[in-house]
Amino acid sequence: MFKLLEGPQTLGRGKPFWSCVLVVLAGALAYPLFADSYDVGNFAYFLIWIFMALGLCLMWGYGGMLSFGQTLFFGIAGYGYGVLAINMGGGTATIAALVLSVVLAMIAAGILGYFMIWGGINGIFFGIVTLSATLVLAFFLGQTAGPEWHIGPARLNGFNGMKGMDPLTVGDFYIEGSALYYVMVALIVIVYLALRMLVNSSIGNVIVATRENPQRAEMLGYDVRKYQLLTFVIGSGLAGLSGALYTSWGQFITPSSIGLPAAAMPIVWVAFSGRSDLTATLVGSFLLLFGFQTITVYSQQAALVLMGALLLATVMLAPQGFVLGIGKLVADWWRGRRRRGDGVTQAGRLQPEES
Amino acid sequence: MNSGHKLRMVLLGAMLGTVASMNLARAAEPPLKVGLLEDVSGDLAFMGMPKLHGSQLAVEEINKSGGILGRQIELIHLDPQGDNARYQEFGRRLLNRDKVDVLIGGITSASREALRPIVDRTTTPYFYTNQYEGGVCDASMISMGAVPEQQFSTLIPWMVEKFGKKVYVIAADYNFGQISAEWNRKIMKDLGGEVVGEEFIPLGVSQFAQTIQNIQKAKPDWLLTINVGAAQDSFFEQAAAANLNLPMGSSIKVMLGFEHKRFKPPALNNMHATANWFEEIDTPEATEFKKRWHAKFPDELYINDMGYNAYNALYMYKALVEKAKSIKLEDMRKVIATGDACIDAPEGKVCIDPKSQHTSHRMRLISVGPKHEVKVEKDYGTIQPYWLGEIGCDLTKKNDKDQYTPSHLPKKS
Amino acid sequence: MSAELFSLFYQFADVFAFLILSAAGLAIVFGMMGVINMAHGEFIMCGAYVTVGLVNLGVPLAIAQILAAVTAGLIGVLVEFLVVRRFYKRPLDSLLATWGLSLIVTQSMLLIVGSAVRGIGTPEGSFAIGGYTFSTYRLVLFGCAVAVLAGLYIIFMKTRFGVIARATMQNAAMAKALGARTGRIYAISFGIGTGLAGLCGALYAPTMTLIPTMGATFVVESFVTVVIGGANVLLGTAPAAVFLAMIRMALNASYGQIIGQIGMLVAVILIIRVLPEGLSSVLVRRGR
Repeated sequence: MFKLLEGPQTLGRGKPFWSCVLVVLAGALAYPLFADSYDVGNFAYFLIWIFMALGLCLMWGYGGMLSFGQTLFFGIAGYGYGVLAINMGGGTATIAALVLSVVLAMIAAGILGYFMIWGGINGIFFGIVTLSATLVLAFFLGQTAGPEWHIGPARLNGFNGMKGMDPLTVGDFYIEGSALYYVMVALIVIVYLALRMLVNSSIGNVIVATRENPQRAEMLGYDVRKYQLLTFVIGSGLAGLSGALYTSWGQFITPSSIGLPAAAMPIVWVAFSGRSDLTATLVGSFLLLFGFQTITVYSQQAALVLMGALLLATVMLAPQGFVLGIGKLVADWWRGRRRRGDGVTQAGRLQPEES
Repeated sequence: MNSGHKLRMVLLGAMLGTVASMNLARAAEPPLKVGLLEDVSGDLAFMGMPKLHGSQLAVEEINKSGGILGRQIELIHLDPQGDNARYQEFGRRLLNRDKVDVLIGGITSASREALRPIVDRTTTPYFYTNQYEGGVCDASMISMGAVPEQQFSTLIPWMVEKFGKKVYVIAADYNFGQISAEWNRKIMKDLGGEVVGEEFIPLGVSQFAQTIQNIQKAKPDWLLTINVGAAQDSFFEQAAAANLNLPMGSSIKVMLGFEHKRFKPPALNNMHATANWFEEIDTPEATEFKKRWHAKFPDELYINDMGYNAYNALYMYKALVEKAKSIKLEDMRKVIATGDACIDAPEGKVCIDPKSQHTSHRMRLISVGPKHEVKVEKDYGTIQPYWLGEIGCDLTKKNDKDQYTPSHLPKKS
Repeated sequence: MSAELFSLFYQFADVFAFLILSAAGLAIVFGMMGVINMAHGEFIMCGAYVTVGLVNLGVPLAIAQILAAVTAGLIGVLVEFLVVRRFYKRPLDSLLATWGLSLIVTQSMLLIVGSAVRGIGTPEGSFAIGGYTFSTYRLVLFGCAVAVLAGLYIIFMKTRFGVIARATMQNAAMAKALGARTGRIYAISFGIGTGLAGLCGALYAPTMTLIPTMGATFVVESFVTVVIGGANVLLGTAPAAVFLAMIRMALNASYGQIIGQIGMLVAVILIIRVLPEGLSSVLVRRGR
């Protein structure tokens, strides 16, 4: 099974790559020992969003399905966590709330995905339908301000947001600060490795083949729709994980986390990073989140202009993604240095014919 | 070198040394850090800029007159760009990293509600400086803005008496609009009036032909316009173009977004509003204040109610710290509990109510004419924020950390 | 009775005009080139701001509006040349590129102009029928929407440019092989599309509050109209606008505006499921 960690679908193989990974992991684990508690908490906050980015990378980069609906499932799981945590009384039940809310998001993804995929919706229309569904939820939740909008004691509370839920708790111990940080790092490692194994497995091969040419995959005997639905459910479930963790982190969630412009953010991160590779998305999204927070702190109004310029530059100059492009340059340089010019080593990695 | 030159060198050295040691002595007291979260970019920028300016003016004035308890104030401002997640991020940053002594800011209720869970886990006081729909019962928060019992209990009876008992409500379809509409229904019922129609408009809608027709069908005596946002503000221009010609009342127009300066007359003709501050108030204190503001910010289009409250927040903080002789929230709350937490603001005297930690205000009602000239119609004197105390919020005894509305009252324990 | 009938017509005309004027430009760009122009709202904003700026300089309103539309069109041609040209085969990348552009423009406008610009008043007066009063300008807007549709019909059906443009739409490679200058066609079409967006902004500027993000209030509805209508402007967008105007009016009247908004989005989802090419696929086939 661990052989699946490397394969044609993911960048990075062999000793140099994995030693880098171990170094980074060691650094991450040691970080709270010498860093300010605020910075540790801040990094944990960035990691919350990475799941949503990885989910979109899976759906869009590997599966060829551009979903504008990541924040839809983010919202479903986020509100789900809030409702469940409040109704189950908080405390250790929050762990169950987390798991259940992700399951809820995956069920919702299954329903919407079935409707779309079995209906033959693909390409740009996939994005439009998911965006419409996202906006419907955002609008709907925005007008739930009245007291009649509640599930048990949990009030949805419209734009002012749902609050009053406990953060992730074990017994009397709130998981926050360094504890939350370690939990996040552990989750990221598990999800990242699991996704690597998924995309390099035979299932992953079919998913990529579907992206390349759906009819060809069908003619080879695969029920393309089932694989697309699987990809959509997993990718959206990851967005749900982000949502539940976000709600637990801030004890707060509003419809503005669901609608525009929040819905477009994951697309920016993944497009910038390089959607066809998990590692590129992971690294790129983290850098982007960190970079934007820093820019907003210091030059505020310019931040959004810079984001637009970044998006434009990415698409015009490095359509496969900046981080991926840089990663490839590094990889090529490394190979050139070792003077193995046989070209066989990087064979087999499929590139998208069209975006 | 001659001896005269040597003497001058020695004297110069002595002077420099004295000045240096004086500065060192002052620098020994670290400055008080004020964390400010105001939107100065994005859609709300034109409302947020005066808030930043108000804080900057207050900081400059207070520092010049010796600071608070002998310590200078340092203003740390971050711009969350109207994004709730940024409010959370930057709130944490100011509280945990910059370790500010007091947090001020937030425009929308959503941003305030995003901050409260974070502030409640610290012992830092938080000043919310906007008028809003009322109801927050939280010991960490001090509200400097007006609340419905101060705004609607003055506006609505006046409009009913002057124009008639039938009102049509146009409200933004979210918490603020819906809660304000609730207040309106409550007060109209007590007055024996009739709400002939209510329309809740989703944010971002800018076309009102159908609404105008609905109003004409319902034939109200006056309109309660609590629509929010640039798109919804298009209503006034479209109503004027259709010659709707009805008197209008609002708690959020003129004093917050200075529509009378931004829209072409006569869009806002016959608008009436109540607030604790309009730039058009011309008492001597108000005129003095306006002079100082415009001296520092000559390009300011309008000193809005939020900016004015932001200015007062720092003076209220100063008063609390000096009376408590401490910067700790619990000591400041002891001062609040005595009922003695007051400042002399440009509107008049402003005090913090011990039960709700909201401020009393000198309310005034204004009307707008066809050329958008503003006239102060009535001075209501000081009105207390009595509602929270009445329904059972008592921060001197317990900390509810919740927001109540007329349909979401505290559980009777 | 006649007052009620007229007011029904007036309401319908109002929504119809809004949808047509905001969607026409988007439909041309999408129908012609398959490009989703996420900066559509910004071209509308451009038209509005140029109009207000010119009027404040003393230019008469109608002339200011025409100039604003032309300005938006010229800027569109420039944008096409610099940016959009590379993305004709990559619809998702064109979406991202134009979205980046939209962010840059909106935020830059906020920085340069600020978010509080003084508006201009609505021209023409009002008139009364029965117990209702109406703004005359709204009927002018309806007239403009009809004129836009008529103008597009003439351009695309009756001129040489129109024939070549439609050929390029159907099969660009073949048109090019037959000697059409497809690059030029695309540039002009994009310019017409953005010019129409500018016209929309110019026409609505006297009735709305000006703010750099004002395009956002048009974008969702125009997208919905284009998607439901499909690629053909005349046989797609126009019927879609009629269809949506009726849905909107019905839902608004019975359930309130939020249900109206949600209803439109749900209609989009259902239509895409049932008729992926939009209404034009049904009507164009029947028309032949």
